[in-house]
Amino acid sequence: MIFIILIYAFIIIINVPGLLKRKEWRELTAFSILYVIALVLGLMYVLDIPIPSPMKGLQHLIVDILGIEYPQG
Amino acid sequence: MSIEKGKISSQQLLFLIAGFVQGSVLLIDFTVGLTEHQTWMVILAALAITTPVVLSYAVLAKRFPGMNLVQINDMVYGRFLGKVVSVYYIFFFLMTLSFNIRDVGELYTTFLMPDTPFVFLLVVFTATCTYAVTKGIEVLARISHLFVVTGIFILISTFIFLIDQMDFSKFLPFFELPFIRIFQGIHIVSMIPFGETVAFLIIMGCLNNTEHVVKNTFFGLLIGAVSLLIGAARNTAVLGRTQTIWTSPSFQSIRLIDIGTVLTRMDFLIGIGQTILIFLKCSLFFYVLVVAISQLLGLKSYLPLVLPLAAIEVIIAATVYQSPVDHTMITQNAGIIYSTPLVFIIPPLSLLIAKIRGLPKSERGKGT
Repeated sequence: MIFIILIYAFIIIINVPGLLKRKEWRELTAFSILYVIALVLGLMYVLDIPIPSPMKGLQHLIVDILGIEYPQG
Repeated sequence: MSIEKGKISSQQLLFLIAGFVQGSVLLIDFTVGLTEHQTWMVILAALAITTPVVLSYAVLAKRFPGMNLVQINDMVYGRFLGKVVSVYYIFFFLMTLSFNIRDVGELYTTFLMPDTPFVFLLVVFTATCTYAVTKGIEVLARISHLFVVTGIFILISTFIFLIDQMDFSKFLPFFELPFIRIFQGIHIVSMIPFGETVAFLIIMGCLNNTEHVVKNTFFGLLIGAVSLLIGAARNTAVLGRTQTIWTSPSFQSIRLIDIGTVLTRMDFLIGIGQTILIFLKCSLFFYVLVVAISQLLGLKSYLPLVLPLAAIEVIIAATVYQSPVDHTMITQNAGIIYSTPLVFIIPPLSLLIAKIRGLPKSERGKGT
């Protein structure tokens, strides 16, 4: 947990001061959105909360719903 | 406006493509279980099918010089539909990068460092790729030939060391497997090592001269394909049908090297070769991903997005599959099916539409 907090603090220290100084608001917004996603995923991972796999969803859509699949065996 | 200011030559593109395809040598294992001793045929067939499509990427890049895939999509399909297509590509880049990062973790925990925590390996590897991406495409392009030469050296040297253990009758019988398995094998090989070169539609926008881009793309693809072919032929000649029971036939065959009991346990060579080639592949994919997202959002620079995306990639890589078996099962079906339109349909279609609409000349004409 401490390791995760240190990494995420490091990411802010590296990026945010420069973006604020250069007044790059669009870049700061994009960074913030991705940062929040990364933080949520990181916390879910260390707290052992299951993270849904996009590929499982895709597999369900393609194989189970659309029925597109190579025959097994 | 393009995000990347750096420029690469078309000769550097050749080595980038060759290294990128070589980086998938281990991923051939996805198809070995299906196509067994006929994997070499599958690679040749996939190369023949994919070459015209990959060359269409080069022709597209030549038609839109200085523009990357996101800009081309916007111009060809319009602002709204173009962005939808670009988001589809970004999802593909995001997922494929996470699979490749995961492959490195699986390689190390299975063969080289079994006691090291999986996620630690992912973090260290992704951090290295992140550093490379922050340095820009020029730096990666300048070192790409070293990676390619190292990969070829390892392939050829291991092939020579194993010659005394090779039995070429293990390639027989030909055309024994059911057609559907061969077809699926061709689909996997044409999507994973060859089709993933669609990512170069972002990188080709950085070319300083597009004159020889088609020729260099072809030779890059050919060098990569020959490397895959040598690896597959070596594994089949040494292991025969037993290659399907190993997690990694390449590792298993190289472990059999025994030259006068002095040169043994040469599998570290595969470890080194794979690590540097997957590093090149992942760095290129990561670069493509950040540039595509930044271009889509209209940012001035991709650098602010690199670290948060690296963190996201590590978590996706660690959680997307439960096991290597799960990885293989999903890749052999949904993984290759969802990405087929991105590789085989959209770029040639973009080229056709651009030709019919006379793009980008008419767009330029409008602007002036």
